[in-house]
Amino acid sequence: MRAFRALPYAVCVLALAGAGACSSASPEPGAGGATGVVSTGSVKRLAVTISGTTVTPAPAQVDLPIGSTLELVVTSDHDDELHAHGFDVEAQLKAGAPTTLRLTATEAGAYEVETHDPALTLLTVAVR
Amino acid sequence: MALLAPLVAPALAPAHGVGSRGDLPLPFTALVIAAVAALVISFVAIGTLWREPRLRDTDGLLLPGPMAALLDSRWLRVVARVLAAALTLWTLTALVLGPDSARNPVPHVVYVWLWVGLAFASMLLGPVWRVINPLRWLHAGLLRLARVSPDLAALPYRWGLWPAAIGLGTFTWVELVAEDNTSLGFLRLLIAGFIAVSLLGAAVFGRTWFDHADPFEAWSRQLGLLSPLGRRPDGRWVLRTPLHGVNGLRGQRGLVPTVAVMLGGTAYDGFSANLSWATFVQTSPVPSSLLRTATLLAFFGLVATTIWLASVVSVRLAGEPFARSFSFVSDIAPSLIPIAGGYVIAHYWSLWVYQGQYAWRLLTDPLGTGADLLGTADLTPNDLLIQPTLVATIQAVSIVVGHLLGVLAAHERAITVLDRRSAVVGQVPLMVVMIFYTLGGLTILFAP
Repeated sequence: MRAFRALPYAVCVLALAGAGACSSASPEPGAGGATGVVSTGSVKRLAVTISGTTVTPAPAQVDLPIGSTLELVVTSDHDDELHAHGFDVEAQLKAGAPTTLRLTATEAGAYEVETHDPALTLLTVAVR
Repeated sequence: MALLAPLVAPALAPAHGVGSRGDLPLPFTALVIAAVAALVISFVAIGTLWREPRLRDTDGLLLPGPMAALLDSRWLRVVARVLAAALTLWTLTALVLGPDSARNPVPHVVYVWLWVGLAFASMLLGPVWRVINPLRWLHAGLLRLARVSPDLAALPYRWGLWPAAIGLGTFTWVELVAEDNTSLGFLRLLIAGFIAVSLLGAAVFGRTWFDHADPFEAWSRQLGLLSPLGRRPDGRWVLRTPLHGVNGLRGQRGLVPTVAVMLGGTAYDGFSANLSWATFVQTSPVPSSLLRTATLLAFFGLVATTIWLASVVSVRLAGEPFARSFSFVSDIAPSLIPIAGGYVIAHYWSLWVYQGQYAWRLLTDPLGTGADLLGTADLTPNDLLIQPTLVATIQAVSIVVGHLLGVLAAHERAITVLDRRSAVVGQVPLMVVMIFYTLGGLTILFAP
């Protein structure tokens, strides 16, 4: 019975260690460290290419402070429809032709930018 | 959360962010504080909690007479039923005659008001769907018209909550996985199918069908156990703790799968928003709908398996036979309901606040003719309750409070059904599982 009494404590220590390991393995939020994002003043610029179902750079979260703008240049190898949730912006993509979306952050939240055919998530814009 | 993505209707102006707003990831500090709080709660609980069962169904603060009379009044119930029936007819009109576009109110009514709104209403007021379920009253009305007993049934009902668990699982799949789940054709099929199955079930098994097999009544009843408002066995209204409600639920057939679907579905919803996961799914050669369906089922299975494994270890630690684990798992399953409730609040708070208000803009024009029948066409959803700091706080607090209540409920149940010596040891495996659910839930909210 004595061993059992120590069990809960051992469990808690293990779980705490596990939680620590998990959170240190996860990427830091707020870093906005999406690759390929270039900042100039209050404007951020990101070029995304789509080839089939592969999105380059890999979908990531891009931080956008309220009031600043993300210039998103999307080039796809097929005709498609581009949609930025929450910003109410839609655009037609022509195969091979770069299309620019200007997304200005107004309300806090996380918003997906996606294509419809096939349905792909390109990135998430975290407005804060 | 991408559930209510506006339909691709090029002729239409893009809808104003229909369900397209997600929550920011939980801040790291909130994650750490919540995780530590959950662990400390579990740690302290095992050593210091009461040793004899102490929740009694006679507990509770009696409601003052006039309030109890109001809650019991026929008028309150009639008004609630009439409002529910009116909303149902309004929605069915939009379903049959409305536009197949993002301006149709049906998806909001089904996925926001019926699913999420019912969860919040039940956690606040108790099992409200039982009172207003329009299909229950349609069935009763048809029997009355035919001048037969309201208890008419052809066969005895004996499947417990299993049909409800399957119904809830199917609805969760529709909501989170099915493509085109906001298109009118899909919704017509879904709603017609549900009405047909319900009326058929009620015709064969009588009104018991609604008590046990109806997924929305099950959803509302389980989450309604957490309501501070309750009725004592002597029928009087009391204010009580969520623990009293949960403790009143005894093991029954199908309870474990029901709880597994409630918890697993919400966890999958949060998990599927993860970007690395989205990238994996969209680049995988396996069709994405297949992959998503399998993952959702795996989440259901994970919850059911972990809680059953915990109960196997518990009964073995208590020196009882392996076979006892099947009844023990059913005994302790209710203690996962507070955790499921915490998940629901954390995941759907902002969806409910924002889209719940937005639905009024669509309901005012059910046929898509530009009408403004309710005068709510220009309603701007108030975002006071979804400020990022407030949302993060609500998320962390609801997960931790759900965990606290789950631990306390499990403790009470363990010392009730296991003998005293084994009870303290016997609840440890379940607590480990709860810690796993809670840290998992927090990680899902934290990872972008």
